[in-house]
Amino acid sequence: MSTIRIYAIHDHALTIELGNEINESINLEVINLKNDFEEKPFDGFIECVPAYSSLTIYFDDNRTLEEIRKEIKSRLEKKNLSTNKSTLIETTLVSTINIKPIIIPVCYDVEYGTDLNWLSNHLGLSIDEIISLHTESFFRVYMMGFIPGFAYMGTLPEKLHAPRKQTPAQQIPIGSVAIAGKQTGIYPAAVPGGWQIIGRTPHVMFDKKRDPISFLKSGDTVQFKSITKKEFESA
Amino acid sequence: MSITILKPGIASSIQDLGRWGHQQFGIPISGAMDELAARLANILCGNDEHESIIEITLHGTEIMFNEAACISLTGSGSIIYLNDIEIQYNRLIKLDASSILKFKPAPSGCRSYLAIQGGLDVKKEMDSTSTFAPSGIGGINGQNLKTGDIISLTRKKSSHKKADEINITKNGFAVSTWIGVNLKEHHHNGIIRINICAGPEWDLFNEQSRSIFLNSEYSISLKANRMGIQLEGPRLELTEKKEMVSTPVTKGIIQVTNEGLPIILMADAQTTGGYPRISRVCSTDISVLVQCRPTDKIFFNLISEEESINKMNEKKKSLQQLKIALS
Repeated sequence: MSTIRIYAIHDHALTIELGNEINESINLEVINLKNDFEEKPFDGFIECVPAYSSLTIYFDDNRTLEEIRKEIKSRLEKKNLSTNKSTLIETTLVSTINIKPIIIPVCYDVEYGTDLNWLSNHLGLSIDEIISLHTESFFRVYMMGFIPGFAYMGTLPEKLHAPRKQTPAQQIPIGSVAIAGKQTGIYPAAVPGGWQIIGRTPHVMFDKKRDPISFLKSGDTVQFKSITKKEFESA
Repeated sequence: MSITILKPGIASSIQDLGRWGHQQFGIPISGAMDELAARLANILCGNDEHESIIEITLHGTEIMFNEAACISLTGSGSIIYLNDIEIQYNRLIKLDASSILKFKPAPSGCRSYLAIQGGLDVKKEMDSTSTFAPSGIGGINGQNLKTGDIISLTRKKSSHKKADEINITKNGFAVSTWIGVNLKEHHHNGIIRINICAGPEWDLFNEQSRSIFLNSEYSISLKANRMGIQLEGPRLELTEKKEMVSTPVTKGIIQVTNEGLPIILMADAQTTGGYPRISRVCSTDISVLVQCRPTDKIFFNLISEEESINKMNEKKKSLQQLKIALS
């Protein structure tokens, strides 16, 4: 595992970097730290933002980088994560068997999964095989980003690893379920994008008027469920 | 009690000091690009510093006041006319109903801020009125201002009574004799200095690239907006190619793309990014940078974290002194 780094990305924001990889146990530690800061915020705490293997903490301008660095170090030490030790101890993973996943229905019809034929050819798998590989695993929401409500999920079975499109699509329809490399995600809005589209969900992933605004959050466990075109259209 | 947008100009939008607390769901902070100018505009009007303001990019905007009002304008980028008479930035202005404010082309600068005494009656979305147009959040229907938009005004109490000292005698308006603090920085031979601190990946760039970065002129490209400012100039290289997983990023971060060109992230930037971050612009200098327009030349000056914080404290102090002086 990698060295823990603490660095400023702004005069009032510090990042704790636990590594530089997509790794479930590091991400679990990131979410644990996030929960710790949210449950016991220090004076001047504004918000924290988790990513794959790092957590950024934003604080108000009454606090200094030096003060918050100390605060972070003392919390890391309490959790037995020390920057001096320079290694992150592998945490025991919570058995995924006991986690109830959030089920997301997806219609994998080629009308919505517009890249299924290309993928089938590229990966040497039938469309049915792609669907079963995508629906049989549990995926972790590693982080949110790109656009409001976009969840980066992983990791895909190796057989599904495919490159991004050479040229991003001008507009990907809202609800499109896509894959790229080790990752899978759902487009919460119609935007340009470069991932390969395999289906579409009727679920609204982001709604600014809803509480919570986002259907998913970092640390969630997700499983996709195949639905028919008829079920999709009547949803 | 309202104003009407007669012309939106190149881009104008309602902003405040940002939408905080939702970045973990991918919601950018947004808010005024030039935070210091937005704060100053509100202080001049006697508003809370967090009050909503209108951000005007470059020129073309025209606004009609349907009621008498007190306003202030800060920032730069326009020659401003009120009832067809040129007026100055950084003052308190009292105007009659039916007054028309026009933002006309100026030789330099980029963003003006209009604050109206008592505040704008705009509904908060996710704790802020800031417009984030790409996702349709905040402002009026989540969009930049359009012709015919009507913005209601509120009558929150002003923290000072300076408006009482201004008497309108002609032209439908009058301007304070005093001026607010000047936030403008001095330029060096037309090249604008931007103070930066080393970024998280500073050490990953090769020595030559670091030296080029600190000793070269970069120009603001046409790809400059509320999401980011792409620069043109010498290309930069990492000592060895490195794949990075995405980490949180924020306004002021200077990323270097695969082509080796720096992009400075701005208020509407994505919450996470995966390019190496050579530096970050100091908070005070974000206000300098966002007042640059395409083709403007800048150079970077590396300072320590402590100097960066001291600079911000000085600016904040002068704003607080002005607040006290006005009250």
